Amino acid sequence: MGVRTRTILVALALAAGQPGVAQAHLMATGMGPIYDGVIHFGLSPEDYLPVIALAFFAGLRGSPTVRRLLWVLPMTWLCGAIAALAGLSVPAGPLSWTTPVMFLVIGGGLAANLEISETAAAVVAAAFGGLRGVADISGVNASLPHLASLAGMVASAVVVFAIAASLALPLKRPWMVIAMRVSGSWLAASGLLLAGWVWRYGTQIAGS
Amino acid sequence: MRRRAAALALLFGLLTGRSAVGHEVRPAYLEIDQTGPATYSAIWKQPVMGDVAIHLVPHLSNGWLDRPPVDQYATGGFLIRQWKQSAAQPAPLQGATVSIDGLQDTITDVFVRIRLKNGEGVDTIVRPEAPQFRIDLKAGAPTTISAFLLLGVEHILTGPDHLLFVLGLLLIVRSRWMLLKTISAFTLAHSLTLAAATLGHIQLSTPLLNALIALSILFVAPEAVRAARGGTSLTIRYPWIVAFAFGLLHGMGFANGLSTLGLDKSALVGALALFNIGVEIGQLAFLAVVLALIRSFRLMQLQWPRPVAAMPAYAIGALGAMWTFQYGAVVLGII
Repeated sequence: MGVRTRTILVALALAAGQPGVAQAHLMATGMGPIYDGVIHFGLSPEDYLPVIALAFFAGLRGSPTVRRLLWVLPMTWLCGAIAALAGLSVPAGPLSWTTPVMFLVIGGGLAANLEISETAAAVVAAAFGGLRGVADISGVNASLPHLASLAGMVASAVVVFAIAASLALPLKRPWMVIAMRVSGSWLAASGLLLAGWVWRYGTQIAGS
Repeated sequence: MRRRAAALALLFGLLTGRSAVGHEVRPAYLEIDQTGPATYSAIWKQPVMGDVAIHLVPHLSNGWLDRPPVDQYATGGFLIRQWKQSAAQPAPLQGATVSIDGLQDTITDVFVRIRLKNGEGVDTIVRPEAPQFRIDLKAGAPTTISAFLLLGVEHILTGPDHLLFVLGLLLIVRSRWMLLKTISAFTLAHSLTLAAATLGHIQLSTPLLNALIALSILFVAPEAVRAARGGTSLTIRYPWIVAFAFGLLHGMGFANGLSTLGLDKSALVGALALFNIGVEIGQLAFLAVVLALIRSFRLMQLQWPRPVAAMPAYAIGALGAMWTFQYGAVVLGII
């Protein structure tokens, strides 16, 4: 790729991501739409807990799996969210099951330290990312009015995934691996509780 | 690199097609003081750019601010309104509601400071997402500390110019020791000028300051590209010198959040200290996330394609160039 092409691509990417006029300093604005997305992610355990567990799981599988999931997770998350913004709607009933099911699948996989292929791990990440993307937009449409909010949310997922995976990657001591697997079991247990709750109370809970 | 960044900035400017002065970011200020047993004064100070003022109108639920002001004038980039008021009842402000019309459509904050003769008072920040608050004179002091600390954190985390400059420095620095020196130099420099500017010892016009800060971003971006290509320069060898020199400018930029408020000296020193601590907390949080991310990418053995690896520096340069053009045009009076 030539320097000119590269420059044009950067300019187009910047222009596409720009909310309006250049603001060299958005001082104390109520933080703006990107931070809205970041804060939304930070306040949504149904988003960040599985991301952390998925990162631990991928980290225990090795760096090739982490590298693959680092792309698959945000791409599918974005695709799910954009599909929801474009009008894709999933009924609240099935959507409310996404959190408990994902807690169970990802937490259980981490707890069991399942020896699955890179592709299988990518499929799990894609399913989670896509479903969260749809659920986040369906559930908080009013609080995420901009694509910039979506970008903030997905960027947070990437940062948290990368940092959490880097904690698991250099693990050498068995007790540290066990500690990570225990965190997976807690997530799976939370998933079971949530599943029972959704079963009992329907669509009012589970963060969807 | 500079030519490419300039081309990007021009393209960017054409695509955005709006003025750099479209968004007022300086805070407004409302102060109500008890001047006698039954007399009060109120002052409203809102930023203006030339003849243009954003629509902000303060209201007090007891109607004091809806009356014509006793004085109204423009000075130093601000529109000032003053009211004098007599009140028969004993505690006319307790429980009243302050609201700012038009605030929700801006990205500006309003500092509200209320002081009574008996020492009671409240300091708070009214923000666009909640443009009104109920006065509780008993709960003033704790609000002050959290408000100014939080303002400092927000000021740097929502200031892409400062963050991009720090990111540019990170891309240049090659060792932990050098990183420590560079960030310390930046912190020392911006703390010095933040204090000096806030206390009124130094002053630079806001558009010129913004243009110079933008220039500092434009300066570090080509150095980051040069460093990535294995080149060397004074900046790459001694990044702490550049961090200190431009840090002086960035400190004056930070000061914009406080110096324009008109707080009295005793309140200003405390506010300045808290604000600066907030800025440092925000800066360290940003650095921690970026360094953790760099470490994680290294552990993942990610091999970025060269164009992707150079992307952050190009993006920093393009934004720096665009802001330099925009604020430069404001300084020259073109827009």
